[in-house]
Amino acid sequence: MRRWILMLSIVVLAGCSESQQEAGFAGLAGVAENDAEVPFLQPGPGDRLIFPDDFGPHPQHRIEWWYLTANLRTEEGEPLGLQWTQFRQAITPRPADAEPPEAADWPLEAAWMAHAAVSFDARHYFAEKLARGDVGHAGAQAQPLAVWLDDWQLEATSESESWRLQVAADGWSYDLSLSINGKPVAHGDNGFSAKSADGEGSMYFSLVDLHIEGTVTLGNETLEVAGKGWFDREWSSQFLKSGQQGWDWFALHLESGDKLMAFQLREEDGGFRSGTWIPEDGEPVALQPSQLRIRPEEPDARGFPRLWRLEVPDYGVSLEISAPPGNYLNDGLYPYWESPVTVAGSHSGEGYMELTGYGDRTLSAYSTAVAPIRWMLRSAPLNSSSSVRRSPEMALITP
Amino acid sequence: MTLLAALFSHYRRHPLQLLALAAMIVLATMLWTGVHHLTSQARASLDQSESAVAERQQIARQDGKPLTVEDFVELRRAGLCVMPWWEVPSRQGGRVVGIDPLAAGCFESPDSEEAPWQGELDGRPFIDISEAAKLAGKNEGGLTLLISDPHIDGALPEGYRLAPFRVGPDTGELGDSFLLNLDALGVLVLLITALLVRSVYLLGMAQRRDSFALLHRFGVPQARINRLLVVEILLLALLCIVPGIWLGRWLATGLGSGFGRALEGLFDQPLYAGQGGNWLVPLATMLTVVLVACLADFLRPWARAFAGSSRRSGGLVVLVLIAGLALSAWVTDLLWLFIAVALVFVAAGILAPRLIAWLADWRSGHDRNLQARWRHREVSVLARRLALPLVALQFAMAMVLPVQALVTTFESTFDRWLAQRLEADYYIEVPESADATLAVDWLAEQPELAASGLWHRVIRGRATLPGNGDEAGTEVDVFAIGPVGPLVTDWQLLESASRPWQRLQQGQGVMVNEQLARRQNVQVGQSLEVTLGSGSFEFPVLATYPDYGRPAGEILIHPSVLPEDFATGFQSLSVSPGNLDVEEVTGGLKRVWQVDELTVRDNRAIEELATAIFDQTFLLTRAMTTLTLILAAIALLMMGWVFFSTRAWYFRLLVVWGLSVRQASAQLIRLSVSLTAAITLLALPLGIWLTWVLVHRINPIAFGWSLPMAVYPRFWLELGVLSLLIGLSIGLLMMRQLKSPTVAPVNANALAGGER
Amino acid sequence: MVDSLLSARGLNKQFRSGNEPVPVLRGLSLDLERGQSLALTGRSGSGKSTLLNILCGLEKPDSGGVQVLGETFDARSTEAESKSERRWGTLRRQQIGVVFQEANLMPALSLLDNVRFRARLAGQSEDGCQDWLERLGIGELADRYPDQVSGGQRQRAALAMVFAMKPALILADEPTGSLDRHTAEAVIGQLFELQARQGCGLILATHDPELAARCSQHLDLGHVPQS
Repeated sequence: MRRWILMLSIVVLAGCSESQQEAGFAGLAGVAENDAEVPFLQPGPGDRLIFPDDFGPHPQHRIEWWYLTANLRTEEGEPLGLQWTQFRQAITPRPADAEPPEAADWPLEAAWMAHAAVSFDARHYFAEKLARGDVGHAGAQAQPLAVWLDDWQLEATSESESWRLQVAADGWSYDLSLSINGKPVAHGDNGFSAKSADGEGSMYFSLVDLHIEGTVTLGNETLEVAGKGWFDREWSSQFLKSGQQGWDWFALHLESGDKLMAFQLREEDGGFRSGTWIPEDGEPVALQPSQLRIRPEEPDARGFPRLWRLEVPDYGVSLEISAPPGNYLNDGLYPYWESPVTVAGSHSGEGYMELTGYGDRTLSAYSTAVAPIRWMLRSAPLNSSSSVRRSPEMALITP
Repeated sequence: MTLLAALFSHYRRHPLQLLALAAMIVLATMLWTGVHHLTSQARASLDQSESAVAERQQIARQDGKPLTVEDFVELRRAGLCVMPWWEVPSRQGGRVVGIDPLAAGCFESPDSEEAPWQGELDGRPFIDISEAAKLAGKNEGGLTLLISDPHIDGALPEGYRLAPFRVGPDTGELGDSFLLNLDALGVLVLLITALLVRSVYLLGMAQRRDSFALLHRFGVPQARINRLLVVEILLLALLCIVPGIWLGRWLATGLGSGFGRALEGLFDQPLYAGQGGNWLVPLATMLTVVLVACLADFLRPWARAFAGSSRRSGGLVVLVLIAGLALSAWVTDLLWLFIAVALVFVAAGILAPRLIAWLADWRSGHDRNLQARWRHREVSVLARRLALPLVALQFAMAMVLPVQALVTTFESTFDRWLAQRLEADYYIEVPESADATLAVDWLAEQPELAASGLWHRVIRGRATLPGNGDEAGTEVDVFAIGPVGPLVTDWQLLESASRPWQRLQQGQGVMVNEQLARRQNVQVGQSLEVTLGSGSFEFPVLATYPDYGRPAGEILIHPSVLPEDFATGFQSLSVSPGNLDVEEVTGGLKRVWQVDELTVRDNRAIEELATAIFDQTFLLTRAMTTLTLILAAIALLMMGWVFFSTRAWYFRLLVVWGLSVRQASAQLIRLSVSLTAAITLLALPLGIWLTWVLVHRINPIAFGWSLPMAVYPRFWLELGVLSLLIGLSIGLLMMRQLKSPTVAPVNANALAGGER
Repeated sequence: MVDSLLSARGLNKQFRSGNEPVPVLRGLSLDLERGQSLALTGRSGSGKSTLLNILCGLEKPDSGGVQVLGETFDARSTEAESKSERRWGTLRRQQIGVVFQEANLMPALSLLDNVRFRARLAGQSEDGCQDWLERLGIGELADRYPDQVSGGQRQRAALAMVFAMKPALILADEPTGSLDRHTAEAVIGQLFELQARQGCGLILATHDPELAARCSQHLDLGHVPQS
């Protein structure tokens, strides 16, 4: 399996090399001329979010995801962290209004991957599923919202502003209802979230105030749970830039009612930081790199810093962020850290943290070169031509 | 000087003997390790591929309709781990399996070994299912859905049921048969090497007996000497086995690549590289063999049986031989059959030298010619003194014989079959857009082709034979040929009704391949129910034809019988243009079809490729048996030389008595050649018997089918020439000794060559 | 020299021990007539066996010549080796009987078959072979094999073989060297008796001075002036 995926990644990489010339909307002009040369669309400053369409898939973009993290509590008041993510990776771009290929042809134009995790009582449960796109057992639609892979699914219910999320893994499962409060928060420049100083980036918005309740079943034990959730939508056609080593991301619910999203893409000399300050009252504010300080304390034995300091001086924010005891590695095809966190300092609160590009040599090299999760299903430095080559195997997949 | 040093001083005096013993152990280890390594590797990959699909269950619709992608989606969305498995004919011929590696993600092997489809999807035989979909074209059906959990019956959605899934039982059997034969050879190699090591060791021991007696007289207890001898051989064995194993693995790797390709080519079984067997098994095996071979006398006096020659035991051995032969003919159990083979070999090994000696003595008593009488008596002495290496040579020849017979039979059968299948010079793919009937009309109008009849159209697709009760129907390949002409009517048929080809041409029946006939127990003359497209038909079976190289069942039919809605998987035209230029044919077809390009394949090239792949299969078998034979020959040569040296004085008496060196040498050559000829003659019946056991007993008991048995007297002749060469070599080595003066033996004991 | 059976002149032979040449025979000459016997004595290594081998053609001298039974051999001769070998072979087969200290019989043949084998090689009839064994007192052992009889009986059989070929010359290299004194006496007695009766020549290499004294000539290789 793993090899195949790597091969798939070669296919994708080969695709990268072809897509280097194309940029932003400019490529769109070429679409009508020849189906075979539909380019990937590249988000850029000035792009706008369209609702509810943007809850659905973007087949002309290379990568996208639907991403839920939740800080829940059981009836006994014990904290329980929960994640559900579904990724789409396009191998062949397709205009949003184009007919999808016939399912009977088992097309290989896109691949789907779903991750689910539960963190409870210092234990971490993780499961992964894969599927090819356009066959039907995995997909997404905007209206009514549905994102599914096999029997894992996120669906809008008949009630308005309410979704249901069902996941069943080997020996554990959850079934949750989500009610949505507030408008979608557009990050960055009206939804265009820069990922480097050079202006590469993605379209990114969040639902930051979800109320969640439902059941989580771990083995024979079924827990009634309730709490807060954070839902991200993000899509792009770009992978990590070369030199970007990894990725630290935080989504925090502060007790003051304010919310904070912050991330940094690490590079040898600093890297790129960005975030959004979402006050309880008032409009969200995009944070400039200079307004943010994100600093890890000592890393643990696995190399993941579990204690962080995050400061936004302009808003009087100085936080100590810590993961609970336990190992929160999502040990799938591309391992990464995804854990609930508690917040102390100027504000108290809770939230989620995602880290990539740490760990032992393999993992680190792997993550750095291949797998910063938010920025990739799998990726490699975009400009590194040495890693972009066709292999004979790929001819069998995309002859 | 320590005791050990004193004991070892023998080898300081005779370094060549030590070298010979060491070389024998190294070579024996190399040979057996190589064989063992390859067989275990091949077995592992076969097991792996088989276990991966062996106990699988597939899902079938309760309404009996073929499965589609919608069924897959429905089942996956219901939370079932199912995976598509789509067998389609490949463009290269044969079949490939389309799978979805992403969907296979939930198919974790319990032992964490990789499933066969988890490698690269390189078409051997797995390809991505989107590729398979392209190959299948508009052809519905053939899609199988495997389910990971075979006990999920209750949880199946409405409208579906479980059915057993088999890739095709013949694949495993063909591979198993091949491996079983290799195993049997491996055991024989082990036996032969044990004999060789023992013979060289005993030679040294005999020469050291005086030293042991001396040490004993000096007050060293016999037990201590024995212990030291054990230590000595243990050290020597360890020193020699390790490089032997290394060499064996080197041999295996060298041959392995070819072997792997052969397995793949023949049985659709990928041979995975890098499954490095362990060192322990060969080390322990060879150590045991060497120790037992060398020290058997300490352990069990009966081990001397080979060398001993009491008349009473002779009768017993004959009884053992008869018992073994009787067992081999009657038992129906594989284990007993192997016991029977072992009995026969042991008895034959003990009897052969005695028989030669007895015959020589008998002839000596009846020959008026005194020189001949002397020679016969000498042969008798040689047969008894060189019993071990002689028996080793006999076994090696007896092993080579069936291997050669099996390989040749298989090859000639395969070659003939291949030649029949690729009778036409060219085959031309019908493009997807093109109408084959236009081409058929055009070809029929060409006067040259009409006269020769050397062309036909081929349609490939799938059909279903109805299953029994709960079982899913059996999918078979459809091979439609028309017009039935001289390109096919020469095919060798295993069994046929009268006028099979005419009736096939008239659409009055079908032919089935051997695999289908055996698996479904289809007899010529009975009628076969076949689902073609949406219709169900019943045809009389006109003939069974041989079909090698793949396990699939197949029916041969005339295209006119195919219904309108038959889904054509693949179409081509086979043409032998004769005097017509192939360019004219392709040019004409391009015009008819209005296409620019045609895929034209030269069948001779395909045939050469297939033959090359097939040759590779038996490279290992041939190499192994040849090496064993060479080893046995070298051992006999060495032993013969040593023995002759002890007897050189007496041979020189011939010169003293007035024979010229040349005349005396001629006597010696006749002597050694008689000996090797005799053992070759005795190896023949043993070898033929072994062939018979392999073909008619082991294969049917183990697998339920058998190859035709044939013997190849020309090969016997080759063996005869080989034995002549060995005899000549021994004689020539002896001539050298005749020329130099030798020291008279001081007494007439066995060591001085004075035995009779 | 009409009656001369054997005549050797100026025989030289040396062996090599390592790189050192070790002279064994230096210019040795001897003559033997029909019916005569010659004793060769000398310590071990003095060249007795070498001389006997040269006199029957099993070895070649470095120089010198041998005339035996009318055939002439010379170390300087340009005659092809195979031709001289053939002449020597004919002589040994028909006229020169050789007896060694031990192992004169083919181990795989019975005593009688050994005698017959030798007689046939010499072109003699097999008929008298049993008689020869009888004469030498081992007639009842005719069907025994060499390893089934004593050393003395084996040497008697060896004598029977030699006499059965009706030789003109007998070369005996310590024929009783491995026998006890009593047996040796008996065997040697028979040898002299039969030699005298058949009138053939005998050259006997021996350590035993008493035995040497019974021969008509005596050549001590330890003391013989060899130039």
